[in-house]
Amino acid sequence: MAEVSLRHIKKVYPNTEKKRKKKGEPQHRTAHLQVTDEGVLAVPDFNLDIADREFVVFVGPSGCGKSTTLRMIAGLEEITDGELYIDGKLMNDVAPKDRDIAMVFQSYALYPHMTVRDNLAFPLKLRKFPKEEIDAKVNEAAETLGITEYLDRKPKALSGGQRQRVAIGRAIVREPKVLLMDEPLSNLDAKLRNQMRAEIIKLRQRINTTFVYVTHDQTEAMTLGDRIVIMKDGEVQQVGTPQEVFDHPSNLFVAGFIGVPQMNFFDAELVRDGDAYSVHVGDAIVVPSAEKQARLAAHDVASQSITLGIRPEHISLASGDAATLVGTVDVSEMMGSSVHVHLDSLGQDVIVIVPTTEIEGPYQDHFFAGAKVEYAFAGNVIHMFSKDEQGTNLEF
Amino acid sequence: MSKKIGRGNSQTQATRRWAWLFLGPVVAAFTIGFVWPFIQGIYLSFCKFRITSDATFVGISNYQAALADPSFQHSFWYTAATAVVSLVLINVFAFAVAYALTQGIRGSNLYRTVFFMPNLIGGIVLGYIWSMIFDGILSHYDTSILLETKYGFWGLIILMCWQQIGYMMIIYIAGLQAVPEDMIEAAEIDGATKWQTLFRVIIPNVMPSITICTFLSLTNGFKLFDQNLALTGGLPYLIQPDGSTINTTEMLALNIYNTFYNSSTAARGTAQAKAVIFFVLVAGLGLAQLAYTRKREVQQ
Repeated sequence: MAEVSLRHIKKVYPNTEKKRKKKGEPQHRTAHLQVTDEGVLAVPDFNLDIADREFVVFVGPSGCGKSTTLRMIAGLEEITDGELYIDGKLMNDVAPKDRDIAMVFQSYALYPHMTVRDNLAFPLKLRKFPKEEIDAKVNEAAETLGITEYLDRKPKALSGGQRQRVAIGRAIVREPKVLLMDEPLSNLDAKLRNQMRAEIIKLRQRINTTFVYVTHDQTEAMTLGDRIVIMKDGEVQQVGTPQEVFDHPSNLFVAGFIGVPQMNFFDAELVRDGDAYSVHVGDAIVVPSAEKQARLAAHDVASQSITLGIRPEHISLASGDAATLVGTVDVSEMMGSSVHVHLDSLGQDVIVIVPTTEIEGPYQDHFFAGAKVEYAFAGNVIHMFSKDEQGTNLEF
Repeated sequence: MSKKIGRGNSQTQATRRWAWLFLGPVVAAFTIGFVWPFIQGIYLSFCKFRITSDATFVGISNYQAALADPSFQHSFWYTAATAVVSLVLINVFAFAVAYALTQGIRGSNLYRTVFFMPNLIGGIVLGYIWSMIFDGILSHYDTSILLETKYGFWGLIILMCWQQIGYMMIIYIAGLQAVPEDMIEAAEIDGATKWQTLFRVIIPNVMPSITICTFLSLTNGFKLFDQNLALTGGLPYLIQPDGSTINTTEMLALNIYNTFYNSSTAARGTAQAKAVIFFVLVAGLGLAQLAYTRKREVQQ
């Protein structure tokens, strides 16, 4: 139970490039990360206030700095600059063991030479808890996680899912102020991952603590987080509830990262006529909803070329309507409750999700390769992004 | 293995038919080079002989003579002391150096090479070099490594450490590098101090390396010969009341060698018996030690 504040947190990995240059060796290309005189800038300026008992998820592609930030909270990485507060206390120079945090690792990081019981008891023994209390706490944690029957086994005799439970057990047994989780489900198979995800949600309801969870999986982020922090190249792209980031992505990156299948993007023209806006895409004209119009007007957005984003689930099949686009079916994927239809439209791949309830007869009869399909979307589900490098959402 | 071969399909039958062609050379070499001399050696330990072709069976008298020989008893205890002290020192220092060199300090590769290099020098050469070094120092105090048993003992220990620490260090480095970084970080977060992490997490996880290194240094210690010969040659000696002498820094292997070549040829059978006792001793100790540390190994 604690608030966590990250103020202007910065992480620089000392440079090894200079030496290489001198030796004439080829330089490492560090994809998109800034390389300064000091070194590689992994996290330039991270600011976030995490409320007591909040569940915050850091999500982003590999190398976006999410794990680095988590490890700085844990004390496993030195903070180059900025301030980290846990429960109002400055933690920059406090050793990990004195931060009252616990961490669950992707690799479980169990002690293979100890039984499950000893693994769970280890942090308590180190803190010199009385034996009866250790036993009680270990049994309680084991019960919470359903691992009581494995207490006397060694980790090697457990399955991946069981090991992960032990790792979580070791983290919760001493009731830390902050529970950090670094891609805890990445090593599990898809089915187990879904199951453990549900268990983490349940666990969260049972234990009162602040969670910081790192993942590259947007589904985990959406389902677990009270708030999601979307990162790219060390920089925070957007912070918001799952609903907020899904409905109002702040830029093209967030729009593309959150949501499966990915959002469709079209080249389009935003036309302003007084306070009225319309979007011209292909032969169709879409009028943004009143709410969106108002936001555009509030930011005094002028007519311009834009990237138009529409989620596959927000596209509907239409016929005969004036504002429709036409595409040719490339591939269609039967997902059970819906069909993902890949269209070749306006010279690009457009994905449309069609619920099977809307399809009569076998789906192949409608969505065979080469079939012409008309589709449309409403003005309240469109996302308009600037054409500049950031691809900022024009409503923001 | 045998179960699989026993399945009787054409491929395994062919394997069986041709197996001896390929196994033959190795089996022959092993038999000629090891098994036969080994059996011959055991047989000779029950014989009186000058050269192997004129051996006459004498029962266990060689063993009685060997066990009654005060120089053999002395060299046994001297060897045991040397082996145990060197085992402890070599492994403690090798582990400490390996641990230091895996902490990401500058120039660790250079240090690794430097520490390993003594291992490339042969034992005899090393013995003479160190005898010169020790005598160079001890001459300032008007003494020599050949004059005091304790100088010879600690001289040999220093030499063994100097030679073997680098080798064991390489094995420990490999072991330490196999300890997952995550596990050490987990211990750090769980509240372990550096020492607690070392003793309660790292060391239990490098038990396979400890097994290998203690096994090697124990058997190395017991089998040591060239360094012993070159450094002190067993000197200084002690004259017994009965006029016989005990070389006070003589280890088992050197004692066997000296019994075989330096005394009258009549003692060759005794030397042979000592060699068999020596083999049983080293093999027994090695296996016992292996079994003991194996139990403490963990599997990831």
